[in-house]
Amino acid sequence: MPLIINDEYPEKLFREDGKRLDGRDLNELRPIKMEVGVIKNADGSAYMEWGNNKIFAAVYGPRDVHPHHLAKPDRGILRVFYRMATFSVFDRKRPAPGRREKEISMIVADCLEPILFLELYPDTSFEVFIDVMDADGGTRCASTTVAALALADAGIPMKSLVSALAVGKIDGKKVVDLSGIEDKAGEADLPIAITWYNEEISLLQFDGDMDLDDLTEFLDLAKESLAKIHQIQLDSLKSKYVTLKREEGEN
Amino acid sequence: MENETDENVGEDIQEDDETEDEEFEDFEDDEDTRDIVVPGEVLTEDTKNFLPGRGTIYNNDRTKIISLNIGLKQIKKNYVNVIPLRGFYTPRPGDKVIALVIDKNPVKYKCDINAKDFGTLKPKNTIKRGKIRSFRGSGGSGGGSRQEEANAEKYEIGDILIVKILSADRLNKPELTTVGKYLGKKNNGFVISIDPPKIPRVIGRNGSMIKMLKNLTKTNIFVTQNGRIWLKGEDIAHERLLVESIQKIATEAHTVGLTDRMQEFIINEKKVRGIE
Amino acid sequence: MMDVKRIVSRIEKNYITSNLKKEQRIDGRGLWEYRDLKIESNTISSAEGSADVSLGDTRILTGLKYEIGEPFPDLPDEGVCTIMAELLPLASPLFERGPPDEQSIELARVVDRGIRHADCIQTKKLCIKENEAVYILFVDMYVLNHDGNMIDAGGVSALTTLISAHLPEGKIGDNGLEWTGKYFTGDELVKELPLVMTYGKIDDIIFLDPNLPEELLCDGKISISVTEKKITSIQKSGAATFSIDEIKMLGKKSLEIGQNLRKELNLLQYRTSIK
Repeated sequence: MPLIINDEYPEKLFREDGKRLDGRDLNELRPIKMEVGVIKNADGSAYMEWGNNKIFAAVYGPRDVHPHHLAKPDRGILRVFYRMATFSVFDRKRPAPGRREKEISMIVADCLEPILFLELYPDTSFEVFIDVMDADGGTRCASTTVAALALADAGIPMKSLVSALAVGKIDGKKVVDLSGIEDKAGEADLPIAITWYNEEISLLQFDGDMDLDDLTEFLDLAKESLAKIHQIQLDSLKSKYVTLKREEGEN
Repeated sequence: MENETDENVGEDIQEDDETEDEEFEDFEDDEDTRDIVVPGEVLTEDTKNFLPGRGTIYNNDRTKIISLNIGLKQIKKNYVNVIPLRGFYTPRPGDKVIALVIDKNPVKYKCDINAKDFGTLKPKNTIKRGKIRSFRGSGGSGGGSRQEEANAEKYEIGDILIVKILSADRLNKPELTTVGKYLGKKNNGFVISIDPPKIPRVIGRNGSMIKMLKNLTKTNIFVTQNGRIWLKGEDIAHERLLVESIQKIATEAHTVGLTDRMQEFIINEKKVRGIE
Repeated sequence: MMDVKRIVSRIEKNYITSNLKKEQRIDGRGLWEYRDLKIESNTISSAEGSADVSLGDTRILTGLKYEIGEPFPDLPDEGVCTIMAELLPLASPLFERGPPDEQSIELARVVDRGIRHADCIQTKKLCIKENEAVYILFVDMYVLNHDGNMIDAGGVSALTTLISAHLPEGKIGDNGLEWTGKYFTGDELVKELPLVMTYGKIDDIIFLDPNLPEELLCDGKISISVTEKKITSIQKSGAATFSIDEIKMLGKKSLEIGQNLRKELNLLQYRTSIK
C-alpha cells in the first residue's frame, strides 16, 4: 500500500521493463473483486474493489417517490446518487456533494435506465446510492458496473447488465483501465460502457486528442476488456448460489 | 373484544390449503438441479419450440430467449421460465399478507404491506366474525352503516393484521380485508421478514417444509405472500431456532434436498442447544 | 425481525419487552452483552488511517485525513482532531439525503467527547511549530448499515482509525514545511483507549447495545465513555428518566464491561507497521 506525501505526477508512466507503473501490461485489468448482498438493509446491494477503488452500491425500490412532484404518472423514475467519502482521495474532499458528483450521478443513471423497464412502474422511484470509499481512477466506470449488480441483486427485472471501463493513452501507448496516476498524467481518457442487451454503448466520454484510427482502436480495445468485466459480474451474481449447490466442476 | 379469542383456531392448518397456485411448486425437492441464470443470460436459441414465460423475454433481434432476473431456469411444457431468487412483493388480489397499521382515520386504516403502495382497509371490510352481514337492503342506508360500524373491528396503529388483498392494480392502491378464514388481528407472537420469492420454499411442496418446521420446533407459523411470517413458539429458545431455520431456508432456497437437510439441521440443533 | 420502517408493531413491542423482563433477547444475548464485533483496519489506501467495524449488523467505516494548519490561539502547541459522522442513505430506509441531521450530529459528538475527554490523543505530538503549524486530523465516520447502536460501533471505529494512523513526519526547515521521510503511527499518538457503552431503557428495563427494533422502542438511552479507570463522558437522551441508583449502577458496569472489552479487543494490534 503506497504511502505518499505529495500528489506528484511521475515523469514516466512506464517502467524500464516496459510494464506500467503498477506492473501491468497494456491490456491488463487491475484486480477486480465483486460481491452482492453486502448492505443488509438495502433492497439490493453490491461491493466492488477495482484496483484501489472501493465502492458500495445500494438500491432502494420500488418505492414511493419523495418529493412527490418528481413522480411520473406513466413510468418509474431512476435516480442515482454518487458520492465520494472525504477520505477516498488524497486531498480530503469536502463532505457536501459537488458538481463532479452530480455529473457522474447523471451519467450513471443514463447507463442504467435503458436496461430497466421503467414504464412498468408508474409513480414509482428506484434509487441507487453509490458511495466511493477509496478512489484511484475510473470511479465512474466502476460505479456503473457495481450499480448494475446492485440492481440485479434487488430483483428488479433487467434486460441485461451493463459494464464500464476507461481506456486511454499514456506515454503514446493505448492501454485499458487507467489507474489514478495514469488518468491524471496520461494523454487521453475514454470511459465507455456497453449494455449487453443490444451490445451498444451507453456511456461515452473522452478527454484528450485523437484521430479517427485512434477512436476505432480504442473502441475495439474496450470491447474485449468489457467482456471480461461482464464475466466477473456474472460470476459474482452466481457465486452466492453456486458454492452451495455442491455440484462438481463449479468455480 | 374479539369474538375470535382463541388464537389457535386455524393456525395449525397449513397455508398450503390455499396452494393451488402453481408458484408454490416452484421449489421442489425432487426436481433435477436447475441452472442459476442472471439478467441477460441466454436461456435458449430454439425460438421455434419455446416461448418466453415468466421472468424472460426475447432478445433484441428475437433470436433468443433471455432471463430478466437472477433465478432458476425452468422449462414447463413449451415455456421457458425463470423463477426469481431475489425480488420485491407486488400486491395481487387474493394474496394473504401481513399488514402493519401505520395510520388511521374514521373511514379507513392505512397499512404497510411491504410493497411500494400502502394498503387501505375500510371498516366495512373488517366485520367481526359471527355477526350477520346481511343488513344490506334492510331499510335505510343510515341504519345499515351504523350497524356496520358497530360490527366492525377497531384496530389501532401498530396492530399486526393478517389481511387478504381484495383489489390492486396500476391505477388503484391495494384494498384489504380482514373478513375471512384465518384473517384478523394478531395479539401475540411476532413477525419476521424474508425475501418474498423465498416464501414458497418455506411452505414447500404440499406444505412439507412448513409442516416439518411446525412439528419439530413446536411453533405456530403463518406464512404470507409479502415475505412476512408470523410465529409463536413455546418459548424463546424454540422461536430462536425457528427464526434461524427460516433464514437458512431463505439462503439455501435454490438447492435440492432442502427439506431433509433442514430436518437434520433442526434435530441436531435441538440436541446442541439442549431443547426438545 | 420484520422489515422496519418507523413504527414497531405492538406485538413486537410486547414480545421484546416481555422477554427483556426475563433477561432474554431473540438473538440469544443477555442484558449486558454486546453483539459480535468485527474489526478491520487500514483498508482505505487513500486515507492515513481507517477502520471498518461491524457491531452485529451495524457497520461503520471510518477514515482519517490530515491537513497542516494553524492551531487554535488558546492552544498554540496542540494539534486538532475533529470527528464527523455521516448516516449514508444506503445504510437504512430511515436515513434521508441531505445535510447532517440530529442523529448524525449526536453520533459525532458523543464519540468525539468520549475520545477528547479521555485525553486520548497526544495533541502536543501533533505540533510541528508552535503558533504556526500543527496537524489537523479529520476523522470521518460513514455508517454503511444501521441496525441499532451506531454510537458504540462508531466509538470503536473512530478509536481504531486513530490507532491505525500513519502520518508523515513534518518539520519546519529553512524553506518552510519539510517532510523528514519518516512516519509516526497511531499507537505513538494514542495514549488512552476510551470505549463508549450505550444502554437502552424500555419501561424499567435497562440493557446494553440495543439492536434496531430495541432502539426504536427505547424510551431513553444513556451512553457512558470509560477509560481503564475513569468515566470520561456521559450522554443521556430520550424522554425516559433514570434513577440515581440506576446511573451509579451503569457507571460501575461500564467500567467493568469496558475493562473486559478493552482486553478482548486489544485494539493496539490494529496499528500500521511502516516498513
